[in-house]
Order: sequence, then structure tokens, then C-alpha cells
Amino acid sequence: MKKELLSGVNQIVLEALFRGFRVLYREDSRVRKEIHQWRDGLTLKLVCGPGGAVLAMRKDPEKGIARIRRAQRADITMRFKSVEGAFRVLSGQIGVADAYAAHLFFLEGDIYQTMSFVRCVEYLEAYLFPPFMSKRILKEVPEKQVSSLLVYGKALLESGR
Amino acid sequence: MSTYFEFTNPTKLCSGTGAADNIAYELKMLGARKPMVLSDGVLEKIGTLSIVLNALGDLPVGRVFTEIPRDSSIDTVNRIAEEYRDYGCDSLLAVGGGSVLDTAKGVRLLISQKADDLKTLMGCESIPRGAHIPFVAVPTTAGTGSEATAVAVIKDTKAHVKMEYISTELMPDVAVLDPRMTMTLPPRITASTGMDTLCHAIEAYSCIQKNPVSDAYALTAIGLVRENLIKAVRFGGSAKARLALANASFLAGASFSNSMVGIVHAIGHALGGVCGVPHGDAMNILLPAGMMFNRKVCADSYGKLLFYLAGEEVYEKTPSRKRADRAIAEVLRLRSRLHTLTGLPQTLKEAGVDPAAFPEVAKTALNDGASIVNPRQVTREAVIRILEVCYGD
Repeated sequence: MKKELLSGVNQIVLEALFRGFRVLYREDSRVRKEIHQWRDGLTLKLVCGPGGAVLAMRKDPEKGIARIRRAQRADITMRFKSVEGAFRVLSGQIGVADAYAAHLFFLEGDIYQTMSFVRCVEYLEAYLFPPFMSKRILKEVPEKQVSSLLVYGKALLESGR
Repeated sequence: MSTYFEFTNPTKLCSGTGAADNIAYELKMLGARKPMVLSDGVLEKIGTLSIVLNALGDLPVGRVFTEIPRDSSIDTVNRIAEEYRDYGCDSLLAVGGGSVLDTAKGVRLLISQKADDLKTLMGCESIPRGAHIPFVAVPTTAGTGSEATAVAVIKDTKAHVKMEYISTELMPDVAVLDPRMTMTLPPRITASTGMDTLCHAIEAYSCIQKNPVSDAYALTAIGLVRENLIKAVRFGGSAKARLALANASFLAGASFSNSMVGIVHAIGHALGGVCGVPHGDAMNILLPAGMMFNRKVCADSYGKLLFYLAGEEVYEKTPSRKRADRAIAEVLRLRSRLHTLTGLPQTLKEAGVDPAAFPEVAKTALNDGASIVNPRQVTREAVIRILEVCYGD
């Protein structure tokens, strides 16, 4: 697949991740608890390869997370080495832990705080991906507190801002 | 095992009798003219440091710094980097255990990246190549393997957290393993650091980042520990056993630097940060319970380890379905022998840990980078259960 196409898919999945995070902040107590541990204003960025899609966000005391400008320097940045590597993770071919083990991304910032973010992504993956995929990419699939359909529905209605 | 792996070990190894005598040559070959020597007060007092300083011959030393605490801290690293610049040093020679070596790694990172605060360089594999600062590491314990790793664990004393730094920029140019450096280690510390080596090798062999090269290093290290740890504890003056353990420590370090460590280290770092349990003691206490936790997904790997933990005869006599359990039993047996010989604590209770700290330890362990590569999902409940089992009531 062409790099531009993969980047486009990555951008769509990042949008789903952002909205999913917002929904789970309200619907899943474990995600809410994780995000509550972050300090207010903590900024995070997911960069999907050089010139690739970017998700830039900060902890928001009301909404859980809110967007920030993509050019802004973040406290924590997970930077994929390639667009293709990011696509493998975002399309559910490989989990975050396996991606780390395969050196698909590197990290700028505090490893300690990043682990909480990784757990949130794994909770989200359990909702967003069908069971046959989440079983393959997660060491243990966390129990869902609400249905995936509800998360998808609310994510569609969620403000992207 | 991952479908892709990376393996890095650029450190030159000088290992054997008289290895420390070559340090001046190695430093000069790296372009060093005025090294800063980092060590600690105990090594200065017992004369280990003087063996290295005497070996420097006509190479002028810029500064000898021996006030490194037991747990390396970000403040200490920042302070030493300042002194390095003030004294006009151009290279580093670290003589000590894990704390001294990790401190030196932090100082090297700060100097080479032209930074003032180590906190600004936090991350994993994100530091670009900086100015080359010649760096020779001389371990005086055989446990941390820090001389062979791209990892430094440095305490943030304000947050009570041990921070992990992962970068090939941390790796020494040369590691010097000389049996004279570990000859005076008391039996208890020999036992504790030896179990740290064993833990590095076993976790490296079972984590999800394992690869064929790290496996080879890990398995060789386990064999060397089995053959030499009890010997070195009982006969501390055995240069052969001391050197074998130093080699094992280096091999296990190179192994886990590339495959990483798992739940035992995640909890061990947390116990160190929150309760002050010495790292080797924590590894000794936690290793069997960590293996039992991972056994569900690591039975094959642990089964293969039996050959190196117990030898060919035991391996052959043990049915394949029982090998994993037997491997864990061998670790327990070794731990028990070390307890008898040295009094090394086998439980968290013996180590003076207050169970009231378990929730904080669990929270810290979950956020440790080692949790992500553990073969089984690390949850708060699992960590608490392991801590309760290890408390030993």
C-alpha cells in the first residue's frame, strides 16, 4: 500500500482513538482512574512516522483529554520510526507491547508516566477491535464495562475538538 | 518471540587476570587525557579504588569523586556533571557497583548531550548521538551488569521513583572485569548480586523482547552462576569463581539490555524506590514468585532453563512436562542454600518491608517500563498477590 494511503488510515484511527478516549473517560472507571493520575495539563503526542499522522492531546480536568496543536512540544511523545510500523499497530496487526519489543517506536519523556497511557490504549483496543483481534494483540483482554457498540456510537457523536 | 529484533553491544570487554592494568592504555586509545574518576567511599577505604588509580600511571586524573550514594540520584548526576566541567575533565572512569556505574552513565549522557539536567533527557531510544566522551567502566560487584547495558536506573529522590533511561549513548566504551575488583566482597553481597545476575538472565530469556542472540548470552550466564555462585560465596578468594561471576554478570547484562526484564524487576525497582530494599535482595526474594506467575505462558522457556540451572543429568531425568516446575524448584533450592550460608533474606518480612506499603509498591511497579515486556499481563492484583506471597507470613 502507498505511504499516503497508510498515513490516511493512520489519521482516521487516531481520530477514533481520540474520540474513544473521551468516551471511555466517561464510561470506563479504569480509564478514568488512569487519566486522573496524570497531572493536569500533561501533554502527549503520538507521531506515526516521519511526515505521518499525529495525535496531540493534553489532560483536561473536565473532558479527560483535549486536543493541542500538533506542532507543540509534548511532555511525552511516542514516535513511530515509520508510517508502516504505525499502521501495523493502528490496524490491529500488532499490540503496543509487541510493537515496543520490536522497536517500532521510541519514546521521548517519562517512561513511568507513559505506562499509564499504554494501559489506556490497551483498554481502548479491547473495545475498538473485534475479540479475535484483541485476543491476538493483547496479553490478556480486559473485561468491557460497557458494550463496544455503545462506545462506537458515542464516539461518532463525540466532538472532535 | 518477535518477528524482528535488534541487538546492540558495542562495549569492548577486557576480562581476566590483570585486566585493570590495561585501563590507562584503553583510556589513551579512546583519546582521554584527563579523566574524571567516579567511585564510592567504601571502595576508597578498602583499597579497591587505589588498584585502579595506581594502574593509571602517568595519565593525569582531573577529579576523583567518591561521594556517590547507594542509590544513584538525578541530583547527584547533575552535580557531578557540573564538577566534570569545572575541573576540565574529558573522559569518565567509573569504579564501583550499579549505583556508581549508572551515575557515570547519567553524567556521560548529560555531558555528551550538552545538557544541565538529566530530567530533560528522559526517554527510551530517543537520544541522538552526542559528543563522544570516553567512558571506561570497572564493576566491583558481579550483579548489575550495568557495564554492558544501555539502561541506567537513577532515582528521582523527590518523587521516590527509580527512573529508567534507555539509550545506547549510555553504554561504556570499555568494560574491565578484573577478579581483584570483587575479591573483597562479603559472602552476603556476593550472594545477593549473584542472584541479581541470575534474575537478569532468567527474565531476559523469558521476556517478549527475547531474541536468539540475547538467549545465547542469558543461557551462558545461567550456567556460570550455577557453577560458581556457591563457590564464590564459600571461598571468596577464588579468583576463578570471581571472574566467572563477573563474566556472567556482563553476559546477563548484555542479554537483558537487548531483551529487557519483566515483572520481577518491575516490582524490585518499586520495592527499592518505595521501601529501600537493596536491589539484589529484592531479586532474590521475588524471582521464584515471578517465575510462578509467568509459568502459565513460559513453561517451554523455563523447561529449557533446567538444563542450565541443574545440569544435563537432571534435565534428562526430568520428564518434559515437569521441567518448568523443576527449574523453579532449582532457583528455590539455590536461594535456600544462599540463605543458609549468608542469611540472605528470603521473604519481604525478613527484609523489613511493611505490608502497608504494598499498594504504593504495586502502583509504582505497574508504571515501571519492565512491565510492558513481561510475557504475562502485569496487573495491580497480580503484583499485590506476588508481594503477599513473598511477604512470607
